[in-house]
Amino acid sequence: MLSEYWPVIIFLAISVGLGTALLVIGGLLGPSKPSVEKSSPYECGFEPFADARMKFDVRFYLVAILFIVFDLEIAFFIPWAVVMEDVGLTAFAAVVIFTLELAIGLAYLWKKGALEWE
Amino acid sequence: MLIQEIIFYAFSIIMIVAATLVISVRNPVYSVLYLILTFFSAAALWILLGAEFLAIILVLVYVGAVMVLFLFVLMMLNVDLSRVNEGFVKNLPLGLLVAAIMLAEILVVLWYKGRTGIEDFPIPEPLSADYSNTAEIGQRLFTQYLWPFELAGIVLLVAIVAAIALTMRKREGVKTQSIPKQVQADKRDRVKLIDMPVEGVEDK
Repeated sequence: MLSEYWPVIIFLAISVGLGTALLVIGGLLGPSKPSVEKSSPYECGFEPFADARMKFDVRFYLVAILFIVFDLEIAFFIPWAVVMEDVGLTAFAAVVIFTLELAIGLAYLWKKGALEWE
Repeated sequence: MLIQEIIFYAFSIIMIVAATLVISVRNPVYSVLYLILTFFSAAALWILLGAEFLAIILVLVYVGAVMVLFLFVLMMLNVDLSRVNEGFVKNLPLGLLVAAIMLAEILVVLWYKGRTGIEDFPIPEPLSADYSNTAEIGQRLFTQYLWPFELAGIVLLVAIVAAIALTMRKREGVKTQSIPKQVQADKRDRVKLIDMPVEGVEDK
């Protein structure tokens, strides 16, 4: 089974190697004359207005949490789909109930207007 | 086998170094990034163990989604970098206490299961060529562990409700589009025709 991961390992090795090589060669061969102005933070040429760490609206968090919940729902479906013919009707009923549980959640958040952005 | 060992040690070393950096770098955003590296190395180790489904779920759910939540929290809290390491000495005893309790809990479980020596953790058997971790999980999850599976659904439902209860707030005075109202609009409600005498023209 692990031999199927050879392309992944080769891909990882090449990407890490290429990334390191580009950085190292660039650092060694490129001219480096830093000055105060060059190494100061800038924003499209002008002075930065404010801290880059601006506060987010909490609604992004809500969207992210809802994404994770339904992401996990899909993740639970995958093993079921693989062994669907072996585990039979009981498992099918269980998955239907599981889906209904989350459908209640979906109906609730829809009714609450959590999907609206205003 | 040798190549597997090289890969195992490489990812293990990366994981330990990254995990140490998570708790030692000053900038919390860098901490989260090192945590991502730790998870990623753990996923690689799981693949070496043959747990490919869990490894991919770890990358998708934790690296892809949970870490985004971590970054959101960092951004929302507006962490003051100069104050991050304040109170390190003051909170050190409490932190050590919590760490000791957690270590004790792990050791109690291992002791209870009678797995105290290194010989109780043998090198796993090489897996057969047609071994499928996903199918194995499916078999167990949908026969032996049906109740925990349903409970997981309930927990996810609670997560939805809790997230909405904590973060939903209605903003007043926002003009939103109501599609049913638009569809139901009739020309008789919009335009009113009124009979009135025409001005400036003589009646015949």
